[in-house]
Amino acid sequence: MTLNTIQIILGLISFGFVACETVVDPRLEVAEPIMVVDAWVNNLPQPQVVRLTMTQPYFENSLPPGVTGATVTVVDSNGKEYFFEESVSDPGAYVWTPPTGEVFGETGLRYTLTILAGSASYQSSTVMGRVPPIDSITFRKEDGNQFVPDLYLAEFWAVDPVEPGDTYWIKTWKNGRLLSKPAELNLAYDAAFSRGGNFSGVNFIAPIRTAINPFDQDKNGNLLSPYVVGDSLYVEIHSLSEAAFDFMVQVQIQTDRPGGFAELFSTPLANVSSNIESLTPGKKAVGFFNVAAVSGLGRKFSSLDDVTKK
Amino acid sequence: MVFGQERATLSGYVRDASNGEALIGATVLVKAGGNGTTTNVYGFYSITLAKGTYEIDFSFVGFARQLRTVNLQENVRLDVELTTQSNELQEVVVVGTAERSMVESVEMSVNKIDIKTISRIPAFLGEVDVIRSLQQLPGIATVGEGASGYNARGGNVGQNLILLDEATVYNSSHMLGFFSVFNPDAVKDVKLYKGAVPAPFGGRLASLLDVRMKEGNAKDHEITGGIGTIFSRLAVEGPMLNNNGSFIAAARRSYIDVLARPFVDVLQDGARLNFYDLTGKVNYHINNRNRIYLSGYTGRDIFFFDKQQGFSWGNNTATLRWNSIINDRLFANFSGIYSNYDYLLRFGEDDRDYFKWNSSIANYTFKPQFNYFISSNNELSFGGEGIYYTFEPARATGASNGETIDISLAKKYNLEAAVYASNNQRVGENLSVEYGLRYSHFWSFGPGVQYSYNDTTPGVRRLPVASTRYNRGEVMSDYGTWEPRLAVVYQVNPVSSLKASYIRMAQYLHLISNTTASNPLDVWTPTSNNIKPERGDQFTLGYFRTIRAQNAYELSVEAYYRTASNQIDYIDGADLLINEYLEGDLLSGRGRAYGLEFYVQKKTGRINGWIAYTLARTELQVEGINRGNWYPARYDQLHNLKLTGFYELSKRWSLSANFTLLSGTPATFPTSRYVIQGILIPHNANETRNNFRIPAFHRLDISARLEGNPVKRKGKVRKNTDYWVFGLYNVYARKNPFSIYFSQADERVPAGQPIESRATQLSVIGTVIPAISYNFHF
Repeated sequence: MTLNTIQIILGLISFGFVACETVVDPRLEVAEPIMVVDAWVNNLPQPQVVRLTMTQPYFENSLPPGVTGATVTVVDSNGKEYFFEESVSDPGAYVWTPPTGEVFGETGLRYTLTILAGSASYQSSTVMGRVPPIDSITFRKEDGNQFVPDLYLAEFWAVDPVEPGDTYWIKTWKNGRLLSKPAELNLAYDAAFSRGGNFSGVNFIAPIRTAINPFDQDKNGNLLSPYVVGDSLYVEIHSLSEAAFDFMVQVQIQTDRPGGFAELFSTPLANVSSNIESLTPGKKAVGFFNVAAVSGLGRKFSSLDDVTKK
Repeated sequence: MVFGQERATLSGYVRDASNGEALIGATVLVKAGGNGTTTNVYGFYSITLAKGTYEIDFSFVGFARQLRTVNLQENVRLDVELTTQSNELQEVVVVGTAERSMVESVEMSVNKIDIKTISRIPAFLGEVDVIRSLQQLPGIATVGEGASGYNARGGNVGQNLILLDEATVYNSSHMLGFFSVFNPDAVKDVKLYKGAVPAPFGGRLASLLDVRMKEGNAKDHEITGGIGTIFSRLAVEGPMLNNNGSFIAAARRSYIDVLARPFVDVLQDGARLNFYDLTGKVNYHINNRNRIYLSGYTGRDIFFFDKQQGFSWGNNTATLRWNSIINDRLFANFSGIYSNYDYLLRFGEDDRDYFKWNSSIANYTFKPQFNYFISSNNELSFGGEGIYYTFEPARATGASNGETIDISLAKKYNLEAAVYASNNQRVGENLSVEYGLRYSHFWSFGPGVQYSYNDTTPGVRRLPVASTRYNRGEVMSDYGTWEPRLAVVYQVNPVSSLKASYIRMAQYLHLISNTTASNPLDVWTPTSNNIKPERGDQFTLGYFRTIRAQNAYELSVEAYYRTASNQIDYIDGADLLINEYLEGDLLSGRGRAYGLEFYVQKKTGRINGWIAYTLARTELQVEGINRGNWYPARYDQLHNLKLTGFYELSKRWSLSANFTLLSGTPATFPTSRYVIQGILIPHNANETRNNFRIPAFHRLDISARLEGNPVKRKGKVRKNTDYWVFGLYNVYARKNPFSIYFSQADERVPAGQPIESRATQLSVIGTVIPAISYNFHF
């Protein structure tokens, strides 16, 4: 199923119904700020960042304040230590830069994160999961109709390992820009969406393979083809711990709010989980720690010859 | 009644003279002495009196009363046909009788709306709707406009037992909730029990909606139909089998797709968008004492984007009933019922990549029921019910790049059985008591696998730690519940009474839904070793009175208090669809609801209608939600006011209006925000649920009905009738809030840039909606 078919059906369903949305500014309860730990590190050969910030009032549309002067350390189950140094230019960022020829982490090892911030300390632990390679990226054409133009869609091909229980976050960059909308989160449990399915050891299912396509509109609200000749894309699969997968599913539920009719079937607002444990009574933190193995592949849409024939 | 006197029984049916339809709840009153009874759901009555001569008064709302003199020396069978009364002045008298029965009857917390009234309430898009019309009654709420089902006295949508000719309807909605599945042309009587549910019924905590189909005109062939904004309808009814029986067949179908086809390519290429239902019933008089009825329903909603992809859902029901007058005082009914709800979802454009999912719930019911009219002071009902269920949560396969994987879940088999006895006893001149007991029991059978789960912090997913496999027919788990039912009426004076009731109910099937409004893919799941039966108690007190001024008014005030145990809730991020370990994602809590309901109705005159006001509170307490404290349910409304009015402007024009004013429903608002991996996450630092209220809701709807000219141009009287209905929904175009949701702004934000957060208020219907329909009858 692709977006254009959904749009057609929603267009048809919405005959006669005139849903209407207004931005409102309700007064919210006031809360004490608490520590936010954004610790998503991976085995790419580049500086790894743990970011410490504080929560903000919901409507404060500024960059979150960084937490400075903290100590951030990660230890693996073999006893190897990684010290994250505080960035001078970017308050709240703590960086581990891999020495040449080295990367962060090893698949299957357990990692423990320890943070000392002021008088408080926090801890978290996770296991680095495995990741399958991306074999290829292909393009296909979907013929337009009276509602949508011809669409060129990209698809990535990778095979989930046979034993079940692997979880992934698939990230896509179009022309160097990350598809970062909540609606563009692409998560996989084995080769499909959820643990119940036991869908393992095969290619990622079609909705995941094709969820690397941005559906943008032009100024007049017309749907644009996700890719046109000349575009390039880069896809990465990041392994997640099972807890991190559950966290990301909750993030998706809480943040991907298309509004309109879909609101009838939304779930109530609730706090997402966290694997950051406070070791100091009275101190709290939110956020997540995950160590990812990453595989990636890019491709340029150089000419219409790149389109797979039906 | 004097002891030792010889007695005899008067019994029979009360029917509508125009079409032979049985009249449910018609009053049979003995003029001297004031003894009386009402007809049961098949129109049968029986009254036992000392031998003698009596004047018996038969009456029913909207019909002319009939006085019959009966010389009761032996048992007498007397079938009575009442004729429709159009003269308004006399109607007052008739209604007066019916109102007395409202004051006298032990029944409370019950609303009965006849289909004529339902058809006059201004309807959304002009489509007469049984479920939506319930919203005009006291004690009934909804999570918002467009949501399916209804909430009765603080119960959730899955706690209503909806019966169509006794068959369970698992999903009462067409088109995700805007319309209900009942075709008004085939419905005769709608009765809603919000409390004081009598012992013959059980299985849901909050309410019972008993919808009875028409039997079909036994005297004349009749065709009714109409063209509305959404549906086209046609119903045919008439006598058959030498007037020993009758039938009705009614169909509705949405027709927007037919109109759109020439303009929409995809509709020509296999896309389908429609919903329909077929309702039918036949009955046959075997002889004077035996009658059989066969009724059925099938309906479906189909949304297919192309030939291969889309979803559809529907209910099917069939009911076979045999009424037998075993003797003049013993009436029996045996029902065999089948009901099924299923949906299917299919995605994927070819055989190499697809996903296909069917889910269904089916039940087979046998229900013997007996009414034993012991004396004019005692009416005993007893019987039983056995329901065999098969649940199929998922028959599902998927394929990825040519490799097919079966992800089906095993079927579940259950039996729910109940026996009951209940006596309606007149204790003294002014006091009547209905006391009953129902015992229900629920079994889960193999084949199947039963899991046990670990204990963990409430609100966190529980993981399976052990499993036990059961063979076919082995009992996996079972539960029983004693369900006492008690109702008392004390008649203070001829026009007013005090009533009280207590009931206990048990519910063994659970609607698994964690979305704001229930949707067609919600699964029903049975009680198991991990899911305990939901049990509820309800106490009600009521004051009922009629005011016989120039016009008759009917007034009631009821207070209720309900508690419920084993209420299902969900962990955050619960995985409810196709999940073998679903039970590990469920939480269990308790609920309480209390309220006051005021209801005033003016039944006659050129201006009539009613006012319903409810002051209520509905709360839940679940470990793992709201820090374990009580919190208001999503459909909690402190104030709920509805005005429904009808005005007969002239012989041909009549106007209807309804006004609704509701307190804002609760919603969870965040306090804070934070960013993880470039995504803005809302956070509630106080961990509260439903800590805010969205703004109040108010709406006015009006409609006008124009009866076709009864006289042809040349002065001849027309045989057939027709009428137009013009309506405006949400007259002053208020943007009523459905919800307020929190999200980050639409555009992609580069790393290092601040992300904008905002709150959006959604109105499902943000404007005035006009409607027009044409209806005919011949």
